[in-house]
Order: sequence, then C-alpha cells, then structure tokens
Amino acid sequence: MGQIKEILKDGFADTFYIWWEEIKNVFKDTGVLIFVIIVPLFYPLVYSFLYSNETVHDVPAAVVDNSHSSLSREFLRKVDATADVAIIAHCSDMKEAELLMKGGKVYGIINMPEDFSDNIARGEQAKVTIYTNMAGLLYYKAMLTSTTNVSLDMNKKIKIERAGNTTDREDEVTSTPLKYEDISLFNPFNGFASFLIPAVLMLIIQQTLLLGIGLAAGTARENNRFGDLIPMSTHYHGTLRIVLGKSMCYMMIYAVISAYLVCVVLNLFGFVQISRPFTLFVFMVPYILACIFFSMTCSIFIHHREACFLIFVCTSVPLLFISGISWPGTAIPPFWKVISWIFPSTWGIRGFVAVNTMGATWSEIQEEYHMLWLQTGIYFVTTCIVYRWQILSSERHILEGGKNTLG
Amino acid sequence: MTINVHRRIYLIAKREVLRIATRPLYHFSMIIAPLFCYIFFTTLMWKGLPTDLPIGVVDLDNTSTTRNIIRNLDAFQQTKVVKHYESFSAARVDMQKGNIYSFYYIPKGTTEKAIANRQPTVSFYTNYSFLIAGSLLYKDQRTMSELAGGAIGRATLRAKGYTDDQAMAILQPIVIDSHALNNPWLNYSVYLSNTLIPGILMLLIFMTTIYSIGSELKQGTQKEWMSLANNSIYTALTGKMLPQTIIFTIMAVAYNVYLYGFLHYPCNSGIIPMLFMGFLLVISSQAFGIFLFGALTTMRFALSAASLWGVLSFSISGMSYPVMAMHPTLQGLAYLFPLRHYYLLYVNLALNGYPLIYAWESVVALLLFTLLPFIVLRHLNTVVTQYKYIP
Repeated sequence: MGQIKEILKDGFADTFYIWWEEIKNVFKDTGVLIFVIIVPLFYPLVYSFLYSNETVHDVPAAVVDNSHSSLSREFLRKVDATADVAIIAHCSDMKEAELLMKGGKVYGIINMPEDFSDNIARGEQAKVTIYTNMAGLLYYKAMLTSTTNVSLDMNKKIKIERAGNTTDREDEVTSTPLKYEDISLFNPFNGFASFLIPAVLMLIIQQTLLLGIGLAAGTARENNRFGDLIPMSTHYHGTLRIVLGKSMCYMMIYAVISAYLVCVVLNLFGFVQISRPFTLFVFMVPYILACIFFSMTCSIFIHHREACFLIFVCTSVPLLFISGISWPGTAIPPFWKVISWIFPSTWGIRGFVAVNTMGATWSEIQEEYHMLWLQTGIYFVTTCIVYRWQILSSERHILEGGKNTLG
Repeated sequence: MTINVHRRIYLIAKREVLRIATRPLYHFSMIIAPLFCYIFFTTLMWKGLPTDLPIGVVDLDNTSTTRNIIRNLDAFQQTKVVKHYESFSAARVDMQKGNIYSFYYIPKGTTEKAIANRQPTVSFYTNYSFLIAGSLLYKDQRTMSELAGGAIGRATLRAKGYTDDQAMAILQPIVIDSHALNNPWLNYSVYLSNTLIPGILMLLIFMTTIYSIGSELKQGTQKEWMSLANNSIYTALTGKMLPQTIIFTIMAVAYNVYLYGFLHYPCNSGIIPMLFMGFLLVISSQAFGIFLFGALTTMRFALSAASLWGVLSFSISGMSYPVMAMHPTLQGLAYLFPLRHYYLLYVNLALNGYPLIYAWESVVALLLFTLLPFIVLRHLNTVVTQYKYIP
C-alpha cells in the first residue's frame, strides 16, 4: 500500500517537474515560441485581413455593342449597375476587346449581337455572348451571375409587355408560373472568408503544434549526448510522467490560443459565428488533445530542428484540401478519403465549420466528435509507446556509455 | 598551386552532391515531397468538376407534378437526390451533419396553386459553408428553375399551337451564352493544380536553400566550404546552389511534362515557354532563400520566415481569391511574392496563350528576385566566416 502511495507521489512530482521544464523550454526557445505563440496570434489576422472583403466586386468588363439599340443599352446599363461587374470600356469590335483582355485590363467581354433588338421585336430568341478569363473562377461566377440576373429581369418585363394582361398580379403569373427562391444558408454573403477562415484557424492549431513540438523534440535530441529524445535525469523515468507532463504544458498554452482563435479572431472581423458555447467547448477539447498527441507521436521522426520545417510546412495546403472543405468531400477519391482520416485536422475542420458556421449542436457532430476522441486515444497510446521506446534506448545508451568510460 | 574558379565551383558542387546524396532530408524535400504533391493534387481532383453532389428534398406536397420536378433535378450531372425528408428541420439537421449540400423545399399546396394560376414558391436552400459545392449547385439550380418554370409555360403554349422554338423565344426572350475561355469544362484541377504545384515546389526550394547553407554553420563545416572557394562567397554559393538548381529544374520540368504532356491541361503557349518559366521559378526561389538567410542570419528565423512567406503565397497569389478584391495594401504586397508573378505568367502563357509581351513585368519581377542575394552577400560573407551557429 505504502509503495503505491510512494509511486503516485513521485509520479505527480515528476509530472509537474516535467511540465514546468517544458514550459520553460517553450519560452526560452525562440523557434518554439514563434510557432506556438506568435504565429497563432498573428497569422490568422493576416488571413482574415486578406479575405475580409469576402467576395469580388466590380469585375472589369469590356462591351462590344453591335446592336446599338435602346434595349441593348438597357441591358448593359443594368449589368453595370450590378455589384459584381463594372463595365469599363466600350469597344468597336471583338479585336479591341481582346486586346484589353490580353493586357489584363478586363476579365470579361460582353458581346451584344447586331440582331439583338430586332430578334426581340420579332419574337425570336436573342443571344448575348459573354467571354470570361478563367484566371480565376470568381471572375466567371461574377460575369455569369450578373448577366443571368439581368436577362431574367428583362425577360420578365418583355413577357409582360407581350402578354397584355390587365392586372399586376396577372403579369406576375405570366412571367413566372412557378416561383423559385434561392436561399443561402450559413454564409449569407456567399463570402470567401466565412468559408475559408474557420478551416484555416483549425489547421493553424494543428500545424503550429506539429512545428512547435517538433522543434522542441529536435532541440532535445541535439542537446542530448546520444541524440536521444529523453534527457538524462531521474525525473524522466516514467513514460506516463513524460507524456502527461509535456502534454499538460501544451494543453495549457493551446487552451488560451484556441480561445483566442475561435472567439476573438472571428469576432474581430465580423465573420459568421453562431456556435453554442457549450458545444464549442466540448468539441475543442478532444481536438486540441488529438493534435497534441498526434504531434508528439510525429515528433519522434524529428532528429534535427530544421527537419520539421522541411517535413511539416508543405503538408498544410494538402491537408486543407483533403479535409473536404474546399474540394467537396463527396468528390474526394476513396483512397485519399481514408488517408484523410489519419489527421486530426480533417475532423477538426469539419466539426468546427459545423459548430461555428452552421450552428450545429453536439448531437449533429457525433461523427467528428467521436473520431477526435478515438484519435486522442490512439495517439496517446502511440505517444506512450514511442516515449517508452525512447526511455529504453536512452537507458541503454547511458549504460553503454558508462561501460565505455569504465573500459 | 592556384586552381581556377571553374575548378573550385566544380569541387564545391561535387561536395554538395555528396551531401545531398547522403542525407535523407534532402531526398525528401527535393524529390519525394514534390512528386507526392504532383500526384496528390491531380488525383484528388481527378474528376475535374465534382459530380453527383448529394442533395435532399423536402416534398410536403408529394404529387405527380412535384415528383416530376424532383426527377428533373436528379437528371443533372452535378446533383444527386440522396434523401427525402419529412420536414424542413430534419433536412437542416442533415445539412449540418454534412450529409447533403442543399435541399429543395416544396410546400404543401404547390400543385394546387400552380393549377389555379396562383404562383406557388419552391425554395432551394444551399449551404454556402462549402463555397465550391454551393456555387456548383447554384448553377444547376438556376437552369432547373428556368426549365421547370418553362415546362409549365411551354405546355400551355404548345396547346396554343406554337412550335418549341417559338415557345422558347416567348419564355426566354434573352439568353446568355457563356464562354469560359480556355477552360470550358470548368475543370478545377486545371484551375488549381497549375499554381498549387509550383507553389509547393517554391516553398520547398526556399527551405532547402536555407537549410543547405544553415547546416554548414550548424555542423561547423563552413571553414572547409569557404576554403574550397578560396574565401569567395560568390564561388562558394555558386558551387553550392548549382546541383540544387539542376535537381529542382528537373523537378520543374517534370511537373510541366506531367501537367501539359500527360494530363493535357491547356498549354496554349506551347511547353517551351512554360519550361523556361519553371526554370525562372527555381532560380528566383533559390535567390529568395539566400536573401532570407542573409537578411535574418540565423537558420531558425530564416526557415520560419520562409515557411510563413511560402504558405501565404498561395492566398496572396490571387489564384483562388482575386488580388483585386483585396485591400490596396495587400495588392501592393502581392508583388513581393514570387508565386504571384508565376501565377500571372501561367495565366498569360499556358492558359490563355497570349504573347509573352503582355506579361513582361512578371518576368522582370522574377529576374529582380534573382538579384536579391547581391544585397546581402557581403553580410552573408561575414555571417559564414565569423558567426557561430545559434540553434
């Protein structure tokens, strides 16, 4: 009985000793400090600032008006009045407009055919042709949306004029027998920031932990005589003590960092934020834990400080794509889908977008929530295994080193 | 005995090749990681345009007319009706779970109203938290609403003796004929891979360059390195960078051949100018790496700066979110990112096939990047010859 008490007492003391050592390490090592504190504080602000306009307005377009009629001018005036497109040049022919496109002055061309107005007058279909530079899909979307909206609007008017109804209500019904409405949920401006920033925030948590813990591990090995991860100290003899002590340090730091990311940053820029505090809290705990243990397991591969930059940094972009937030999850090939399950960020991003942007409750994020706890469990075990292995090899090295000096 | 400069460069390059060959980290950052990313992005977006996005239906009316509307919707390539819901909130919950991207809401009495000419409303709810999926669905929905509205009108007009063409002219007096220049399939992989892949390569070049210089200091081999170069920083760097330039250029050629030769992505300028741009990307990235090391003097800061700069490149290049929509400050800052210039060159050359003259500024910008090391060379010389490694 007394023995167990002794072990527990020792264990607690060592855990807190290791925890304190790790905290000192984080603040002493500028490299770790940059990634664990400074990057999470400032990088999200840069990203938010970048996307803060949410969407592209007034895409510059050129016009070739061969019709020169009041109807074609009306069409163009209305397109110009939309928020998406701004007509900046009237060209005499397509050649001139193409020159503007080549020079990067305009991203779209609207061509009004010669017979535009005549066709409408004759009761035939009139075709407006638009050309878009596919340098970015947002240009295409802006051009298509604004011209389609204007055409629908004008179609309605033309139909009403032709029908010769007597009441307004009849007019309405003639133009659209069945009314459709398109409602955008969870991202009212269809904006880029509200869509991407939540995912970026989650990714920042995982990637900075990977880099921070990796850097710390690299330093520990470099400072060790035998290149081992575990320092030669009596405090570092139990696997659980090391794993708990270290993870507690990062948990504390990331509790604050995460609170800043998910509460302050989103609020600062007025992005969509309709999470329920309790759900958010319940969800973030396993995410941070999974990221910490995942990073601790990965840190075993880091033998030199610099290695983590070369290995981890370039994974950021693929991880964002594989999470299913930008490229639709249902279109991800099965092979990559299974690979994506390995990373906490996949579940973290999906769950956080559901909680933060869609206001999901705990019962709607069951899958993500359980996967994160599962990952926490698995990566906790793997962390213990790799640290156990490290302790053993460190002890062996010390023993061999001792023999050598004796011999 | 004096050895001439060429011989020295050759000796340093030989030494560098040996360093690269014996360290797995170089193999990873120069060959494995780039190749992995080439394969990753192109296979992830293999389909080009996502098809069969799952959507739901809340049909409270449930008549043959409404079922017909749903059937029509299912016929679109991009959407697939996967589930019917009892109520609005059931559909919303499933959307929050991420099972469907959007759903149709057909209220009770829709058919009755349509018959009685009382203009019923059918709603289409889209989840724009997934912007790409949402935008794709919007396009289908737009067409669908026109077709469905038209179907009712067309039946009436046909009964009155109009031909289909006449009926369409009456229903849709003005139509938009849209041309997505040089990417008519709206292929997302064409749109993204062409910049993401060079971006990753650029990021890895930054890191490898800084690492290869920094590791000399770290291991205390800088004396050996500099004496081989007769203490000339020019010779030392040239010899060191040359093998890397060759390997990275091969990697750049590889992605060009893969994207344009094998996957047949649009390459309207022909592949030769793009190969030249790939080479320009390699040397400007190397130069930027040297500059960062020289300016920040420690490997730790240089690598941190390179990773932050490199990752930010993807956003600020304007490939997904146009630079013109950013704050003016950022529009100016965008010039400081090599990937921004590469992206502009790619759009001008491979995508649109315009003559190079329209993008000459970007070529000049990339060439200016290659001159950056000259600003810091003197300082770098001091660093290499006098400074001690700080972890």
